[in-house]
Amino acid sequence: MINKSELIKYFLLEADDCLNVLVEGTEELETKGYNKSTIESLFRATHTLKGSASIVKFNKITMLSHKLEDLFEALLNGEINYDNSLIYHIRNVINLIVALVNEVHEAGEEKSEIEKEVIELIDNILNKKEIPAVQQKSVIFDALPVTDNVRVELKVIENIFASLSEVLVQKNTITDKEKELFHIVEEISNSGKKLLKEITDFSDMYWLSTYERGQKVIDSFFVDFSDLEFDRYDEYHIFLRKIQEITNDITEGINSLFIFSENLSSHFKSLGREINYLKDSLIEIRMIPIGKLLHRLSEAIKENAKDIGKAVEIDIKGAEIKIDKPVFDSLYEPIIHILRNAIQHGIESFEERIKKGKEQTGHIKIDVKKEGKYIVIAIKDDGRGIDIDKVKEIAVQKGLISSEYTSFISEEEILSYIFVPGFSTSDEIDFQSGRGMGLNIVKTAISKLKGTIEVFSELDKETTFIIKIPQSLTISNLLIFSSHNLDFAIPINYIEEILTLEDFPQALEERSINHKNRIIPVKIFSEIFFSLNGKALQKGYIIVFNFSGIRKGLIVDEILGHEEATVHNFGKFLEGLTQYLGYFISGKGSPRYVIDPLKLFEEEFIFTGLSDKITESFIYSGSVLVVDDSISVRKTLQSVLEAKKLRVYTAKDGVEALNLLERNKVDMVVTDLEMPVMHGYELISRLRKDARFKNLPIIVLTSRGTKKHEEKAFELGADGYIVKPFDEKAIEEEILDRLKLL
Amino acid sequence: MSEEIKETEKSYCVFGIGEREFLIPKESVMQVLDVTRIFPIPGAPDYIVGALPVRGKIIPAVDLAKVYNIERLNYSDNKLLVIDVKGEKIGILSDITPFFVNFESDIVVEDFIDPEKLFEQLKVSSQKPAEKRDDK
Repeated sequence: MINKSELIKYFLLEADDCLNVLVEGTEELETKGYNKSTIESLFRATHTLKGSASIVKFNKITMLSHKLEDLFEALLNGEINYDNSLIYHIRNVINLIVALVNEVHEAGEEKSEIEKEVIELIDNILNKKEIPAVQQKSVIFDALPVTDNVRVELKVIENIFASLSEVLVQKNTITDKEKELFHIVEEISNSGKKLLKEITDFSDMYWLSTYERGQKVIDSFFVDFSDLEFDRYDEYHIFLRKIQEITNDITEGINSLFIFSENLSSHFKSLGREINYLKDSLIEIRMIPIGKLLHRLSEAIKENAKDIGKAVEIDIKGAEIKIDKPVFDSLYEPIIHILRNAIQHGIESFEERIKKGKEQTGHIKIDVKKEGKYIVIAIKDDGRGIDIDKVKEIAVQKGLISSEYTSFISEEEILSYIFVPGFSTSDEIDFQSGRGMGLNIVKTAISKLKGTIEVFSELDKETTFIIKIPQSLTISNLLIFSSHNLDFAIPINYIEEILTLEDFPQALEERSINHKNRIIPVKIFSEIFFSLNGKALQKGYIIVFNFSGIRKGLIVDEILGHEEATVHNFGKFLEGLTQYLGYFISGKGSPRYVIDPLKLFEEEFIFTGLSDKITESFIYSGSVLVVDDSISVRKTLQSVLEAKKLRVYTAKDGVEALNLLERNKVDMVVTDLEMPVMHGYELISRLRKDARFKNLPIIVLTSRGTKKHEEKAFELGADGYIVKPFDEKAIEEEILDRLKLL
Repeated sequence: MSEEIKETEKSYCVFGIGEREFLIPKESVMQVLDVTRIFPIPGAPDYIVGALPVRGKIIPAVDLAKVYNIERLNYSDNKLLVIDVKGEKIGILSDITPFFVNFESDIVVEDFIDPEKLFEQLKVSSQKPAEKRDDK
């Protein structure tokens, strides 16, 4: 439960607003006379005040505002004719409310009693529809409580955010420049040192070599005053001296430059820290405790439940956790949707609950937790749960899953189909125990928040929705990757893991990977965005996304790292580019386009649920690994076998074959004998030594037709022997018939 | 040459593409930028040659040569004329440095570009996800 003092804080903020409206409104009525819109705003203010006071159970304020509300309503409906003398009574009531609010402010509770006459007076007005004469003409308003809060329009904060993101870009640029500066300083200092050394060496030499001459010169100074050598020596001497002095100056200069740049960089660092601090506190300003939303919702839901003859208790944990204002606003819809579903379809009727041995009152637990930069909201009800078989049935009916392989799909994945648009709306009555009702709306809303939603359920016991959303929308956590000299980013929250392409050499060819017993369809980024043939890719990474249980892979060329950034919208001119969520500018000044991963795979989940690729993989009647160093043999055999509905893997030598067998389920191996790296005999003997492949059928397909070769193969453990060139009949007998026996 | 603009005159900004010149109302011109590097936006129509980062934001660069099918002689000395349409900044590539002219307001100018119409005509409408484009 949200703590009371927090709630009182909100109440006071709200009351402050409402009272302001009331005071201003009455003043306006007094000066300008009757005005419908003024009365309307007064009516709304009293209504809000009543509601918010009732949450914190300030009954007196609730009652007083209720009376006022009735009065304004009567005025609006024309039941009472407006008269300026009403102002007096209204003011009296408002003053009472102000006094009570002041008390709440100071002591946290209502203290004074309400004068009965005031209430009676209003009741009288309402009942008799006439306004009693006023004894006193003017009532001065009591001073409103002074709060130490400042209300700022969200737009103002948004503007600050905009300049902050600019500052962040500048900061990144400065950090880059700083490195450059260090580089330059280092270069100068190195060259300076070299210069100094050269000059010192030179002058040392000079001094030594001229010392004797110098003696002579000094001598000659006395002997021959006009000696040319003396003059030349002197100029040289002075020049050298000057150079030395200059060099010393330069060295000193370089040293102070060095110290200066060190200093500067420490200033940059503290500036960076301050900017980060500023960023965090700004985000904090925009944050609202989630309890404010949950509390409001749970009150409404409890009422709702009562209306349909059910009783629920809602338990909220982690109400103090704060979320960004836009996130807060957009969470309202999805959460109320889930809660409504819970009371309508989840929580059973009294009789049903008793029959099931459950407590009469249903329980809904809302548990909010902070996980790093994410908020995890778990909403759990102890109702009927979701009937997985029914979900499966409907998914099959709707053609989302093909009936042949429903048994292969994990419960988690089946449940995720309830989020597919139009999943259950058509046969609502049939689908009582499940809840598809508009859950795709929930999912869309959560996705817009760059969040994810998952569902877990146990039939007749409970259903849990887990929503994971970023705490703040302004700063996103992004994975940066590059492709064709452009940088792209993708929100990190959908990313489950990153694999290297090298471990899945088949991925480019097959457009799917088999990872952790899941067939995950993959797409190649450069194909989608640059219309290039992705098969040429040598190196790369597979980003595995988890969209509420449905996994998809994306192959990218290079991953640059991870960054936090403010994502800008593309604007109206480019808004049709829906494959992007927006962009941000990197520290280097180049734009990075943020990809919407949902759009990337959209067609698959919205229209078919699953791509044809995986559908195929489930209808193969078996799988064969063809090992041959000749591509034409591999290709011919592959097409022959695929025509027989077989899944065909290919390898060009024994080593590749062994690697493939580690990762894929293979029903049969067809191998050549002569191959590079590892030949067929070795492959056969290795396979036979491995307990896992002891009984795996191995057929030799070779151009060596001699008895000797054949015997050797059987000796090592081969099951069949086909001599090239092969015909369909041999394939049929040796491969297909054998597979049918399996 | 800052002459006073007569009441009856209207100011235009002239920019050029290939051999042609276009006029656009002076009021909608924000600034003229030197084109340093334009970053292509994959998936955008071919007349949007890319984005130019300016002060933490990007300005889409539109090449009207692709829209009006104008042959270009050379690409050197490109300027980006940034116009403001309903608060959105759009850049138009110009082969010449744009300059301003005044005309009597009753003169009907040829090759006049209405920024709002241009915006509506060229804005990227919603398309299928990850629509492919010819990458030349």
